[in-house]
Amino acid sequence: MEDIVIDVQGLSFYYAGNIRALKDISLSIQANTVTAFIGPSGCGKTTFLRCLNRMHDLYSGNRYEGRILIDGRNILDKDVDLIELRSKIGMVFQKPTPFPMSIFENIAFGLRLIGIKNRTEISERVEKALKDAALWDETRDRLHKSAYSLSGGQQQRLCIARAIAVKPEIVLMDEPCSALDPIATGKIEDLITELKQDYTVIIVTHNMQQAARVSDYTAFFMMGELVEYDRTERIFTNPSNKLTEDYITGRFG
Amino acid sequence: MRPYRRRRIENLVAISLCTLSAAIGLFWLFFILIDVVIEGVGALNLALFLEDPVPAGLEGGGLRNAFVGQLLLTLVAALLGVPVGLLGGTFLAEYGRGSRIGHIISLLSDIMTSVPSIVIGTFAYAVLVKPFGHFNGWAGSFALALIMIPIIIRTTEEMLKLVPWELREAAFALGASYYRVILSIVYRGAAPGILTGILLSIARVAGETAPLLFTSFNNTFFSVDMNEPVPSLTVTVFQYAMGPYENWHAQAWAASLVITLFILIITLLGRFIIFRRYGKWKTL
Repeated sequence: MEDIVIDVQGLSFYYAGNIRALKDISLSIQANTVTAFIGPSGCGKTTFLRCLNRMHDLYSGNRYEGRILIDGRNILDKDVDLIELRSKIGMVFQKPTPFPMSIFENIAFGLRLIGIKNRTEISERVEKALKDAALWDETRDRLHKSAYSLSGGQQQRLCIARAIAVKPEIVLMDEPCSALDPIATGKIEDLITELKQDYTVIIVTHNMQQAARVSDYTAFFMMGELVEYDRTERIFTNPSNKLTEDYITGRFG
Repeated sequence: MRPYRRRRIENLVAISLCTLSAAIGLFWLFFILIDVVIEGVGALNLALFLEDPVPAGLEGGGLRNAFVGQLLLTLVAALLGVPVGLLGGTFLAEYGRGSRIGHIISLLSDIMTSVPSIVIGTFAYAVLVKPFGHFNGWAGSFALALIMIPIIIRTTEEMLKLVPWELREAAFALGASYYRVILSIVYRGAAPGILTGILLSIARVAGETAPLLFTSFNNTFFSVDMNEPVPSLTVTVFQYAMGPYENWHAQAWAASLVITLFILIITLLGRFIIFRRYGKWKTL
């Protein structure tokens, strides 16, 4: 078990009003793998994902218990710099979230945030990010057009480019394909497989085939609990828990 | 067939009543506008913009002092009101979102938009005219700014709320601080709407007379000294229309036409910005 990037120990999470959304979750995620979080709606998979970059801190009244070690450091500590943490962990959302500015500026925004001011370096890294996100050929002639001029799938790849341009260690994806058609979905899935060479990817998905296609490990959640966590092929062929089997074979959820 | 006939008649009555009401409203609006245009156009001439008033009773002269004074009062009011309104609206939509104090401020702003403007004029008189012993331009601009602020606060708040939360979260997820998110993402997304709110608030105060009557008052001479009474179109229209001279009446008509056109243009500009931007923005 070497190269563990994220080590979650006994994590519970409460939304405002003391509503317990996660119960005593423990799991470790290895570097350069793709991990899929699956489970029925409301099972806590997105809540868990958003614990990893402490997105919940944006809203008052939320509370964590337990520990999340990233590179050996507990990110739930009070003195953790959220700005630093979030620049180490990229996030891609369910709906594409391009900023109201040009394609180029969308990516440059993140680069400037981490303190890069040199124009040549920004241009190079924008190009690199777009190439890595397989978007360069479609956008090279229109970098200074509004990001909203792109199609939904292109916008989502732009968001991935924006997330990886700042070279995070981990990329979190919250149902990144749910708003996209099958062709765009295929492109993003190919991209995810590429990304794991350089990043650790965690993806929340409702699509079981997608989890099976792209991930190395799968975690199955239900009612705020981690039911089973194992290699993806094992979860999908020979799960050890009856609930997992029922869910995967479509008997509920 | 009978019940259907009854419904048709009811429908017809309802439509007729609505149409009639709309027609009554529009009739007076057009009556006023057409009157202003007919009377105003006849009195428009170059001297109106280039010359200052001549002593009462004499022919000729213009309202250059009032045009310049009006612009000055409005400009200073905007300089005072826009930053406060913008930051206030930002507080309500961002930092104070969902808080009790935020709700209270929002509610008070709504009440303030409907306070009669003469009340605001009286307030400005009490704080900026009485202590100094004479009418002055600052008091006029202050009163106008007080009218602008709640309008800008509320439009800014509404426009910022239209920017989807996901967009802010996406910026936070990149490691941006809140002020950076607001400056670079939220303002940029809401800019056309905010600008429209500012323009509409300017259009609103451009036609105000009551708040200026006991603050900046009026001045028959050309003056850009904000410490002294500053002439304004609206107050001039009020005084000239009440005056006994025929050429005063003509100039009041012309000034009314100019104010009306100014407000119309500002309002259309505001609508145009909204239309142009939000037509494209629907994909968001």
